Amino acid sequence: MKLAFFQGCNIPIRIEQYAVSAEAVLKKLGVQLEIVEEFTCCGYPVRNVDEKAYIIPSVRNMAIAEKKGLDIMVICNCCFASLQKAKNVMAGNPELAAEINELLAKDGLTFEGSVTIKHFLTVLHEDIGLETIKKQLVNMVTDLNLSVIHGCHILRPREVTLFDDSFVPKITDELVALTGATSLDWRGKLECCGAALGGLNSELSEILLQEKVDGARAAGAQFVTPVCSYCHLQFDTTQLNMKDQQQDKEVLPVLLLPQLLGLCLGIDEKVLGIEQNSTIEPLHVDNLKSLLGPPVEKKKKKRKKRPQKEAA
Amino acid sequence: MKVLLSLSLLVFLAGVSFRIYGWLTHTVLTTDKGTSPGRPASALKGAVGAIFSGELVAIVKTFFTDVLFQKRLFSKSALRWVAHSLIFFGFIALLLMHGLGTGVSEFFFSDYQSTIQPYMTLRNLFGVMVLVGLGIAIYRRLTDKPQRVKSYVSDWLAIAIVGAIILSGMVLDSSQISSYSAFAEMAEDYGDITDPEELLPLETYWAAEQGLVSPNVAKPYDPALIEEGREIAADTCMECHAPAQSAFVSYSLAKVVGPVAQGLGEEGVVNALYYLHIILCLGLLAWLPFSKMFHVIATPVSLLINGVMGFKEPGKDPANVVNRRMIGLSACTHCGSCSEMCSSLMFYESFQNDFILPSEKVQILKKVAAGQKVDDQTLANLQKGLYICTSCDRCSEICPSGINLRELFISSRYQLLNRGIPETSMLSHFSFPLSLTKNFIDDHKIALKKLEQIFKDSFTKLKDLTSITVSDPVQVGTDSYQSCYACQRCSNICPVVRLYDDPVQQLDMLPHQIIFSLGIGNKDVAMGSQMIWSCSTCYLCQEHCPNKVELTDIFYNLKNAAIRQMEGGRA
Repeated sequence: MKLAFFQGCNIPIRIEQYAVSAEAVLKKLGVQLEIVEEFTCCGYPVRNVDEKAYIIPSVRNMAIAEKKGLDIMVICNCCFASLQKAKNVMAGNPELAAEINELLAKDGLTFEGSVTIKHFLTVLHEDIGLETIKKQLVNMVTDLNLSVIHGCHILRPREVTLFDDSFVPKITDELVALTGATSLDWRGKLECCGAALGGLNSELSEILLQEKVDGARAAGAQFVTPVCSYCHLQFDTTQLNMKDQQQDKEVLPVLLLPQLLGLCLGIDEKVLGIEQNSTIEPLHVDNLKSLLGPPVEKKKKKRKKRPQKEAA
Repeated sequence: MKVLLSLSLLVFLAGVSFRIYGWLTHTVLTTDKGTSPGRPASALKGAVGAIFSGELVAIVKTFFTDVLFQKRLFSKSALRWVAHSLIFFGFIALLLMHGLGTGVSEFFFSDYQSTIQPYMTLRNLFGVMVLVGLGIAIYRRLTDKPQRVKSYVSDWLAIAIVGAIILSGMVLDSSQISSYSAFAEMAEDYGDITDPEELLPLETYWAAEQGLVSPNVAKPYDPALIEEGREIAADTCMECHAPAQSAFVSYSLAKVVGPVAQGLGEEGVVNALYYLHIILCLGLLAWLPFSKMFHVIATPVSLLINGVMGFKEPGKDPANVVNRRMIGLSACTHCGSCSEMCSSLMFYESFQNDFILPSEKVQILKKVAAGQKVDDQTLANLQKGLYICTSCDRCSEICPSGINLRELFISSRYQLLNRGIPETSMLSHFSFPLSLTKNFIDDHKIALKKLEQIFKDSFTKLKDLTSITVSDPVQVGTDSYQSCYACQRCSNICPVVRLYDDPVQQLDMLPHQIIFSLGIGNKDVAMGSQMIWSCSTCYLCQEHCPNKVELTDIFYNLKNAAIRQMEGGRA
């Protein structure tokens, strides 16, 4: 299976480890990714200013993928939603679709609508499948509690994103469960990290972030696991910037899903770039590694647990 | 001739000094921070420091890979690399071997003479290399589609002058090949042949096989005379004059140029071409510091700095940050690589603002730095262009000249904002990556405050409304607001509303109130509510609305409309 890897603007320059760890994990699982140089910004940053200017770049990016005959895989939620939204608009607004296609013709491109936009999580969950991943695991973790924050634009609006159940999503939890870690039920799991207000209403953005950091910690999280690149930057960069203002703040470190999954697939933590997360310290990595063990034992434990539950 | 040479050399040296002086004293915009009399000292300190602090390896490596081999260009485009290499190496080889023939070539090869091999063939070969390279460059500039990066007069002029030098050289060469007066002079001066008995066969041979256009002999040539002439030539000429065919291009050209030159008076033509060629060469020398060709000096410096410092870490010495900015501006060749890779490419298509493209930003910043007058509207466009930027840094990664475009653009952006002209694009998510870096944080806040004020002035708030009127339905991109049945689920689930004890005070209107106001046809009051700029776009309201009112999408639409009104209002 080969997919065009749409990295967006944030990941290549600010969160390279997200792309590298996702690629390493997918390579293990037999999925090939192609970096397409012609891809531009998805359009998301301009959405407050002009809706049409927001749609056009995503249509162009999809047209490029169609020309290459590849489906697109995205990590960033905002890129994902932009591409899905553009696809939705092109299908529902023939007038605008014609206008945009005329513009694309200048580049020798045309959007047909044949391309599928897949989120990284969907590729893992549906295209590869939990069973296949399970067979490849060389490690599992024990006693690791994570607060997953899905972010908003992967889930909502559901008619556009078409990802999982937007009220009770299960894909991420099932993927986390594969590794033996626990995805906690916590207040901020489906809520906003505040990134969309960063730089234009930073005060409010930071309040929303702090609320999530506090919520995750209160739930007992050792790490926060953001899905979206914007959420990641909020937790991994803005959180530290806020600590600069208020030294006594305790930092909640970030661990990305492909980094955790990668460890369980036996990929080196250096390759996964865990220490490249600004909130991660060497101690965190040592702790994580100490939680790793062969996957067989964990299975036994699970079997033991089930009858107990039934009894209860 | 010497006067001309001295003059152009003087202009060249003065120009280079002036440009380097500019690097160390000029600023991009007047409010540039770090402007200080210590900049030349800082530059010296930085350069010496780099050499003596273990960076020498990096410098040498960069010199070979980036400056000579042009690795950055190679990874961008093989075709461009071929074009640049052909022009660069062809021209430098010509300059060293031919232009500075008496100095350089004779130093290395004591028997150097322009009329012997391999120099005759090499001269043509190098010339052809340059011409092919220029051909590719012209082809690229004409056929790159769509042409987002415009080619300016300065771009064409550079190609034209270099091309003219090579072509004039080749035509000069061919006119000399065919020139009778040159033949007669050389036969007398070098061969000491004045006797018509010897001269006739030599001339016949030269006309038959060496491209000479002779007024005295004509076709059909007497084979015996040719043979006799060949022998005389072998004895007296060929020792220091290779066959004219060695100059394979000029020789072929001579067949066309020769008859024309003879018609016009070949002696005069040779002289005229000679002066044309020399004047073009000296002209390029004198013009170089003031043109984009100055990149032959500035770009290596920029690449070496980039090789040592990269672009990701902020420079330690603020004076040298400004110095590098200025060097970077001179190093730009307007090749357009950055704009082709620009992540904001399609925003350029939407907003039709040239300055969204990085290469065009550099062009205008060059003008600003050189002190040229730029009108306010252009500066406003530049400011917007600087802001419609995703901070993906692809331009800095790709720049074949190693210019730190990231730093140049960020600093210019805030210096322009400090002029006090508000920038509505700050209300976009382009601001997010800027907020992460914490650079210019105070300037950012001040510029945002200005926008807030304009926002307040542009709209009537709900609390200031004296009466409520009911108007026709409004355009907000969807009619779904009409389905609202006032359950207020949206406001109840909003994570922003719940943050405040007095949300109406803080947000002017709650989500359901905005939908209500649209319902009675009052879009203005909705656009003017703080709520739309506090909306985290989490879509919880829209997702939970039992009647599928597309609240978040409507808020986006209101933000678009509010920005348009704020833009229009200040004009």
